[in-house]
Amino acid sequence: MTETSATASLRVPAGAPNDPVFIGVGELESGRFPDRSFIAALTEVAIRALEDATMAPADVDTIILIPNLHSFDDQADLIFSRMVEELGLSRQAKASFMVHSGGSTSDNAVRVASGLIAAGHARTVLVLQAERWGSADLSEMVTMLTANGIPQEWERASGITFNAVGGLITQRYMYESGSTPEEMASVCVALREWAKLNPNAMFRNRDLTVEQVLGSKMVSDPIHALECPPLADGAAAFVMTSAENAAARRDAAVRIAGSGGCVSHYALAQDTDIGALGWKIAGDRAWKQSGWSPSDLQFAEVYDSYAAITTIACEGLGLCEPGEGARWFASGATSPGGDFPMNTNGGLLSAGHTGVGGGMALLIEGVRQLLHAAEPERQVEAVERGLIGGTGGTYMDAQVLLLERVEQGGGR
Amino acid sequence: MSVEIPLSGLADSFNQGLAEGRLLIQSCNKCGKPNMYPRYRCPFCQSNDLGWRQATGRGVLLTYTVVRAVPPLGFEDDLPYALGSIRLEEDVQLLARLEPGDEGDWAVYACDATVEFAPRPAAEIDKRPVAWFRLVGEDAPS
Repeated sequence: MTETSATASLRVPAGAPNDPVFIGVGELESGRFPDRSFIAALTEVAIRALEDATMAPADVDTIILIPNLHSFDDQADLIFSRMVEELGLSRQAKASFMVHSGGSTSDNAVRVASGLIAAGHARTVLVLQAERWGSADLSEMVTMLTANGIPQEWERASGITFNAVGGLITQRYMYESGSTPEEMASVCVALREWAKLNPNAMFRNRDLTVEQVLGSKMVSDPIHALECPPLADGAAAFVMTSAENAAARRDAAVRIAGSGGCVSHYALAQDTDIGALGWKIAGDRAWKQSGWSPSDLQFAEVYDSYAAITTIACEGLGLCEPGEGARWFASGATSPGGDFPMNTNGGLLSAGHTGVGGGMALLIEGVRQLLHAAEPERQVEAVERGLIGGTGGTYMDAQVLLLERVEQGGGR
Repeated sequence: MSVEIPLSGLADSFNQGLAEGRLLIQSCNKCGKPNMYPRYRCPFCQSNDLGWRQATGRGVLLTYTVVRAVPPLGFEDDLPYALGSIRLEEDVQLLARLEPGDEGDWAVYACDATVEFAPRPAAEIDKRPVAWFRLVGEDAPS
């Protein structure tokens, strides 16, 4: 395999003053909030992340916006520069722009932000996301989604939908792994147990059983209605800066030990291994760059818009045995109190699918866990190392970030 | 070097084939490799000397789903309908519609089943330019 990432020797070493680190996160509750405006959500979550980082807007010199998918108008607007104005950074901000790779955007935004910091092009980067999937115009959104990672001239006339994409992948996964409908439904139930511990989760107050899942309407075989991600409004933000700049601000920060990625297709029907996607390749690249292996991890946050999306990833990344992903979730191993916590915010399936923000929510939950800043009932004890996995469009890519806590002298 | 395919007409050529009951695969006249979906330059050798060949029409059903609810706008009257990802004998892949079995549903299908191109009337292709496939039964001509 051709090595596409920077080799370990070219990376900024741990402890270097320009090593890029996460220093704060912010989030708004996910759910349906028709009265919450898009710009208000972006502003609020920016301030929350900066306060968590013990920073003020004036400390930020670069703003990266994660795209929204709720309306054509807001997609076309140059919101990143509006946020410069909203935060009082006119003429202070050096750059503001958008990064886009669908659901994996947050992972690629980390790559961009950390690269800018390591190379000295930015001092502190604020990454912002807000979405109104829970209360946007449904017909406009459905239309937008059939143009999202689906080739217009070759597939649109078939009537493909995003639930159909999930159905196609799940069908192949169940065929290859021998997973039963009950085992697939158990993944959703395991995620709900985490959501109940997350005050920002859409379904924190709603129980879920395997019987309920399998009793719900079939939407796109073999996916039932309760196996589809609930569309939600939400917002999330994080702040990255150099280790040198972070040191005095809080007792710990989170660095990137390595990353790996693989873009396996654009149109799902072009993927030659739908039951595996790009996860094995992406994982191998991340292990090689970091020197880590799966046994170095204590938890993971992996994109889960459908159960099979995350079980396929877990198997490719070596977090569980091949073919055993759904049964691994069903065993309770990934649930609260289990050996290897997975998707500790409840994931997209239970915390809410906030569009491109679903991966962002998983990312900041991973950072929050490593900062030991989750609510006590959800905090995984003494975690030092975790994995973030993201994917976008029709699961066109597999993105892996390996994160580790670094103790530092300052602040809280 | 001849340019047989106008840069704007890829889908028109493919869809015209469907309307004539033929499944076409783009083929590079320089390196000979098949491309699907059709491309503007050959992704293997970057040539723009590209033509078409007729597919055998047989392939393997990699996976499938039956859309029963929440279709895109304009597809409400099509429900339910089945979609499959198919690897043709020529080792290229496409998304297609699947014909229902004799019972009117898609229970006869399974991953890795052999399927074949099922031509549809031109009027239907004009409305929805998409390739259709059906299961190859044990007594089907090979």
